[in-house]
Amino acid sequence: MLAFVTVGSTRFDGLVHRALSDNVLDTLRSKGYDHLVVQCGNSDFDTSEFTRAGDTWTRQQKGGVLVEVWRFKPTLQEEYKRADLVISHAGSGTILDVLRLQKPLIVVPNSTLMDDHQQELAVSLDDLGHVKAATVQNLLLVIEGFNRATLVPFPAFDGSRFREILDEEMGYPY
Amino acid sequence: MHPIALAILLTPLGLLLRLYAILPQGKPTKRGVRLVSEPCKLGMFLGSGGHTTEALTLLSSLDFARYSPRTYIVSCGDTLSAKKAVALESLKASEILAYSVITIPRARRVHQSLLTTPLTSMQSLATCVYHITLSPLITGVHFADVLLLNGPGTCVIVCIAVYINRFLGLHSPKLVYVESFARVRRLSLSGKILRFFVDRFVVQWPELAAADSKAEYRGWLV
Repeated sequence: MLAFVTVGSTRFDGLVHRALSDNVLDTLRSKGYDHLVVQCGNSDFDTSEFTRAGDTWTRQQKGGVLVEVWRFKPTLQEEYKRADLVISHAGSGTILDVLRLQKPLIVVPNSTLMDDHQQELAVSLDDLGHVKAATVQNLLLVIEGFNRATLVPFPAFDGSRFREILDEEMGYPY
Repeated sequence: MHPIALAILLTPLGLLLRLYAILPQGKPTKRGVRLVSEPCKLGMFLGSGGHTTEALTLLSSLDFARYSPRTYIVSCGDTLSAKKAVALESLKASEILAYSVITIPRARRVHQSLLTTPLTSMQSLATCVYHITLSPLITGVHFADVLLLNGPGTCVIVCIAVYINRFLGLHSPKLVYVESFARVRRLSLSGKILRFFVDRFVVQWPELAAADSKAEYRGWLV
């Protein structure tokens, strides 16, 4: 199974560092994941244990998890589709993209950003059961206790709502 | 009192009264009745990144034959938003080319000094006024019937240009603001400002609607 970590367009050293730590990899392994892909953006990470090929750093962990790290791709849609679990920053675009594919999602808000509205979004979606909110500190525990069957499916896009608002405002009959 | 002094005193008062007269009232604005066959010109500000994604998702739900033609407003240098708009247009497969993209200077770039922000904002406003106020006066073709805004900052400038039209009694588009899905408990800065000025103010979380009498909540829109 494949776990995919994404930090978005900026950097999130804390999440990348944590995701690549031995105990997180061990936990992923014990949950049945044998492949971890990390989109690290501009984050710094320790490249010394990796083999670089082009824009991708890879490493085969002793326990068995194949780790792949790269910085950016034009679109992450294919990565989300391939993944069995997504661990992401709390950007609303990423959250919507992943949830619309009905992929299990753990959201880790980047508390180093100035505006912490991302935190509110993660917590509210967690309250509704659509995602699991985590922090860099408790990520290990959250992965350990993660059960995709307890997540509430995210509703499909409903274009009729906005269409009705605008049609109403502009005086079109229904 | 000297007539000039009197004029200096009364002018701001008159301007304020005019502004008060054109501000949307608490009750919904008067809605005309439009025939199904009557098209509606649509303007859409694309604020880059997540703003653009949400804006185009909102648009994707609309009947493009009804909301036609469409004008996309993008910030200078934001080629990605323009490309995404063109992609949506080709996806909706309108046979006739019924849209245009106009670019305006950014009111403030990321990390730009606050000192020079008024200058760049004025450049931005001048371009908006050209498209929304002046060009329609010259050509007799109004800019749009409805203008959708969803942040960030530069869309406040677009709103100011619309208010110049209202101030002068010229044709002006209705203003609809949709707060981002990312805003759960607190409005964005552009939302906080524009809620007083737009005709419809729509939020996507019930917490925001509960805290604000102007805000309207109809579930998630994107």
